[in-house]
Amino acid sequence: MKTQVREGRPTRKKEVWVRQAGKENAVFDPRNGSLHFLNETALAIWDLCDGDTWPEEMIDAVCLVSGLPREVVAEDVGRILHQFDHAGLIDWVE
Amino acid sequence: MADQPSQLRILLADEQSLFREAVRVVLESEADLVVVAEARDGLQAVAEAERTTPDIALLDVNLPNCNGVRATTLIKERVPDCRVLVLAGEEDQRTLISALEAGANGYLTKESPLGELISATRGETLIPSRMLGILLATLIRRRREQGEALRRMSKLTRREKEVLGLLSAGSDNDAIAQKLVISPETARTHIQNVLAKLGVHSRLEAAAFVVQNGLQDELIGAAT
Repeated sequence: MKTQVREGRPTRKKEVWVRQAGKENAVFDPRNGSLHFLNETALAIWDLCDGDTWPEEMIDAVCLVSGLPREVVAEDVGRILHQFDHAGLIDWVE
Repeated sequence: MADQPSQLRILLADEQSLFREAVRVVLESEADLVVVAEARDGLQAVAEAERTTPDIALLDVNLPNCNGVRATTLIKERVPDCRVLVLAGEEDQRTLISALEAGANGYLTKESPLGELISATRGETLIPSRMLGILLATLIRRRREQGEALRRMSKLTRREKEVLGLLSAGSDNDAIAQKLVISPETARTHIQNVLAKLGVHSRLEAAAFVVQNGLQDELIGAAT
């Protein structure tokens, strides 16, 4: 099933922060004490959730860097943003 | 010794023979990797790539006589199945992005651990994970700058593009006037208009604007 990317630019919630321990990266949400582990791509996308970068820009950049087909990258980036959104880790700026 | 069919055949290009030798020893300590050619500059790298058709070319980004970015373009044109890995310093983000835009399949820094060199050569990891975030951010910033530069360029008339092309090639007012068969005063007026439309303050800045934003192709034809 194709993941729909929401309209707007994602921005990290201020209360949420990243913990790095060795090779493990996790986003910690102190509001509910939840910990979300991120792989390398998800961490890179998380860093780009600055309220200024459009999902399309993220997809273009990942395509160039990875050499993967656009539809594959769009699906991956869309799924990652959807997971951030679903976990309440990001807001969206119009 | 002839390489075995299952081995990955590697072209190694770096100006420093000691570095090439060290990398060769490391790579050939793996049974599935063999260095089939070495080059000390970019032109030699392209020639060796054509001659030996390697599976992978490992290029230093600062090769003399045709740098690693240009060599990447030429190798991808002439040996399309060859994967190109570029070696550069971590601080050299813009050059690395230029290499990726030229068709490089990945890159390593000279600070990379040997295990990373071997796995990247095998194609397991082509971008070091610690570099991914900063690389994506730099790439996006550069794309925005290029978009803005193109927007400014689109304000130029054809004549102004001709003037910019000549200016960025180092021509002075008189040379531009002579080439375009206009008076030096008219050339000066065009130059002032170009600078104003590009939002730069000097000829040098205008020339740098063209190069930094990779706009040379936009000017090809305009100045001929």
